[in-house]
Amino acid sequence: MAIAEQKLTSTAPTTSESFQWRSWLATVDHKKIGIIYIISAFVFFIIGGIEAMLMRVQLGTPNNTFLSADLYNQLFTMHATTMVFLVVMPMNVGIGNYVVPLMIGARDMAFPRLNAFSVWLFLGGGFLLYLSFLTGGATNVGWFAYAPLTQTQFSPGQGVDYWILGLGLTGVASIAGALNFIVTVLNMRAPGMTINRMPLFVWMNLVVSFILIFAFPTFTVASIQLLFDRQFGAAFFNPALGGDAVLWQHLFWFFGHPEVYILILPVMGMISEVLPVYSRKPIFGYSFVAFSGVGIGFLGFIVWAHHMFGTGMGPLANGFFAAASMVIAIPTGVKIFNWIATMWGGDVRLTTAMLYAIGFISMFIIGGISGITLASPPIDLQQTDSYYVVAHFHYVLFGGSILGLFAGAFYWFPKMTGRMLNEKLGKVQFWLMLISMNVTFFPMHFLGTEGMPRRIYTYESGMGWEMWNFIETIGTFFLAFSVLLFIYNVLVSLRSGEVASNDPWDAATLEWVVPSPPPSYNFLHIPQVTSRRPLWDAKYPHSTADDHHGEKSAPSQIRYEYSHEDSPGAKEIHMPTLTYMPMVLSSGLTVAALGFIYINQAILGLPMRVASYVFIAIGFVMVFYAIRGWVLDSRRDSPYLGHH
Amino acid sequence: MRKDARQKVMLAMVMAGITVVLAGCANLPATTMYTYGDHATRILDLLMVVFWMAVAVFVVVQGALVYTVVRFRNKQETTALPKQIHGNTKIEIAWTIAPAIVVLIIAVLTFRTQAANSVMPPEAIKIRSIAHQWWFEFQYFNQDGVSLSTPIVVDEQNQPTITTATDLYVPVGVPITIQLDAADVMHNFWIPKIAGKTYMIPGKSNYLTFTVQEPGIYKAFCAEFCGEAHAQMHFRLIALPQAEYDSWKVNVAKIPASAAGTVQVLGLTGDAARGAALFADAKKQCASCHVIAGTDAKGKIGPNLTYLGSRTALGGAILPYSVDNLAKWLQDSSAIKQGNLMGRVIKKGTLTDQEVADLTAYLDSMKLSVALPAEK
Repeated sequence: MAIAEQKLTSTAPTTSESFQWRSWLATVDHKKIGIIYIISAFVFFIIGGIEAMLMRVQLGTPNNTFLSADLYNQLFTMHATTMVFLVVMPMNVGIGNYVVPLMIGARDMAFPRLNAFSVWLFLGGGFLLYLSFLTGGATNVGWFAYAPLTQTQFSPGQGVDYWILGLGLTGVASIAGALNFIVTVLNMRAPGMTINRMPLFVWMNLVVSFILIFAFPTFTVASIQLLFDRQFGAAFFNPALGGDAVLWQHLFWFFGHPEVYILILPVMGMISEVLPVYSRKPIFGYSFVAFSGVGIGFLGFIVWAHHMFGTGMGPLANGFFAAASMVIAIPTGVKIFNWIATMWGGDVRLTTAMLYAIGFISMFIIGGISGITLASPPIDLQQTDSYYVVAHFHYVLFGGSILGLFAGAFYWFPKMTGRMLNEKLGKVQFWLMLISMNVTFFPMHFLGTEGMPRRIYTYESGMGWEMWNFIETIGTFFLAFSVLLFIYNVLVSLRSGEVASNDPWDAATLEWVVPSPPPSYNFLHIPQVTSRRPLWDAKYPHSTADDHHGEKSAPSQIRYEYSHEDSPGAKEIHMPTLTYMPMVLSSGLTVAALGFIYINQAILGLPMRVASYVFIAIGFVMVFYAIRGWVLDSRRDSPYLGHH
Repeated sequence: MRKDARQKVMLAMVMAGITVVLAGCANLPATTMYTYGDHATRILDLLMVVFWMAVAVFVVVQGALVYTVVRFRNKQETTALPKQIHGNTKIEIAWTIAPAIVVLIIAVLTFRTQAANSVMPPEAIKIRSIAHQWWFEFQYFNQDGVSLSTPIVVDEQNQPTITTATDLYVPVGVPITIQLDAADVMHNFWIPKIAGKTYMIPGKSNYLTFTVQEPGIYKAFCAEFCGEAHAQMHFRLIALPQAEYDSWKVNVAKIPASAAGTVQVLGLTGDAARGAALFADAKKQCASCHVIAGTDAKGKIGPNLTYLGSRTALGGAILPYSVDNLAKWLQDSSAIKQGNLMGRVIKKGTLTDQEVADLTAYLDSMKLSVALPAEK
């Protein structure tokens, strides 16, 4: 609570209301950083969606020649990489960044500059990944990058190197962000908000942050080993030189499976916020929902080899990983039952956000059930690497993560922008998206069962796969249209949407206490928390007892003060000042990473190698300059060291 | 909606549902729902049990969700607060235990099937398959019988008696163990109607045992992404009655008769003897990548072409075998299979049409008489 509780007589002006580039590029405000994450992730969502549509057009008819084999391979690799690392993860982080400090009654994240560093480094990584399309072709070895296809003799271009270093940057950004979340949640909660009273969205962000700092380094180290294989002739994953190709799979999935929970748990947290509010009830079984999330987090680390049942690990190892994977069904089932019970007996209001939350549960049930057969090694051997798997994880990641994120978007949009999204248009969009995602993804179950392998750029006619593939392709167009409707809704609502009050949904948590959008310092006075639903209990003081039918009480009983930027008290709140240094540091690392891609490409000749050293040198100069500036800024900004 | 209209809609939905179910159950060329091998059959049996359990779980949970939403949705903007229930430990413990019981049953059934599918009888016929970018090679040896402790090691004493590609011949009714190896990157061996997938990993041998129950030609694929032409890396399993398999095995090991005869292709007359000379011509580079038994062609990069005329498919089983398709492949294989290694050397125009016709005649002349079973 170091920053939050400091009330110094600082006269540093808070950021101006009108749009200024500086106020965004140099921001350390968790809300602005959150919005940069959200907008970037949404742009990547559209790019990843276009990649998917190109692939669907190619697969719409047999023996199609719309895309070449190599371009298709680049697209499916980049589609997965984009959706996992550049869409769902940063979207979760963005919403978490915006909402978590507000939910726990804090004025910012624990490390605001580190937060800014994370978002710019994530963008640097995304930039490198997409730059590869212009420099000779993106990576075409799949997002799982199985060895030894990734070795230079099989993948001679630089696409794989761009992928390693691009993801390396986003990985560092994610680890820094996760540490920031952990310290924020553990240290910056408002007085009275015990761990046991944290909103479930905060809980899930905490769990995910721990998963991230344990899982991501494995991937980072493995991918640097791969970089050494490629650039310096190391042989970690090259069997021809005594390396082990299966080792890569173990390292990748030791990260890759927890990653699945990194993608879904924050969204489960969002659902756990949205469902109670629109049911006008508390979450059913708070502890079960919170601890099933923790349980999933732990179990997520002992199931990775269920991605590898076909690699010949033997029945014993397969049996262990099968059993562990099946056990995960238990906490997941508990969550679903608790969500349904939350609505049971409630006053369920089918707003767009609520529809998306219900859609999430419904689709997640399908994705969860289809996952059971993949946990059973014998059945998995038929279904793995077929379209059945593609169906399964799109039900979890699209039906789950993406629908859940739309629930979060409709729920928190008024808080973030001060405007309401159009509910009617939102509902049309919901139904269109729900139906078209089922048209797109459900037939993939049939195709997988009918023997269609994954990752094939074309297929011959006469296999009986034509009809479903064509229907799926039609489905994607409707899916794309539903996303366009959302964009239209956002643009119109930003200009002329209904103005949002502080608490438009009659919600329960602290972010709805402050104005929409909140002032830079969030809370004029740090709230005192006495329950899991601080705002609700202030509004309905007699409603908490289990056996009591609460009557709607007068809103005058809300005990929080609202304030505006120019109110006298606000001027006394010390917030960290704007600084470009996090962005310069991230840019420097990106430039250096670009240099490392070409450091040992003998094939490209001396000029390229010289250019590589120049890039590395410039990058490191920027890094050292930024670190120096960062330290000086911190000194200037510190309530203890500055202001003498 | 009027009642008859509603009935029509219901009828249409039921019809659509039946169509979907039937489509899922049709005996398509690569479906996993019609099995002809013990490995795949045991998997299908397990799947059907799990499937009906899954249907039951789906109906209960999805039904509970829909029922809850419909029953408790706010119809008129009431303002009274619902009862504020925070949980019920007994119920929550109950629905923690319920899924645990379901997965326990599935786990037990899973382990039984897995045990049955892991058996590797010592008397099994032993065949080695080596995956290459992007085709399958098959080697047969004099000794049958393989176990984890006695992998096939190819050395001077143990040379394959038969080396072939694309068509994997096996007898029906007896267990077959395939030793799965890879020459370059990872591949995956999948015959959907016969057996589940097993990885083919460079530097590590895997084994897959299955028994084919009916004679037939079965589609098979590489199921792991393995580079540019992964989509076009197929093979065919040809399961023959034991007697026919035995005679195939004897005949295919013989050296082909010297090339003779002609074929009509590309509007030209291809001559097999001229084709044999072209094949041996170092300038044409055929022999530097391919083997033909009894000739000086000893290249090990591409598939062994001995008795190519009896193959059922070409180019990694992506074209049915015919002299026209063979000629097309020789003219411009890259147009048929992007990325394939031969296409990097033999480009469009590298061979004249007459040379293509002659080579086609030569390769087509090496034939065996095998009574092929029907495609399943």
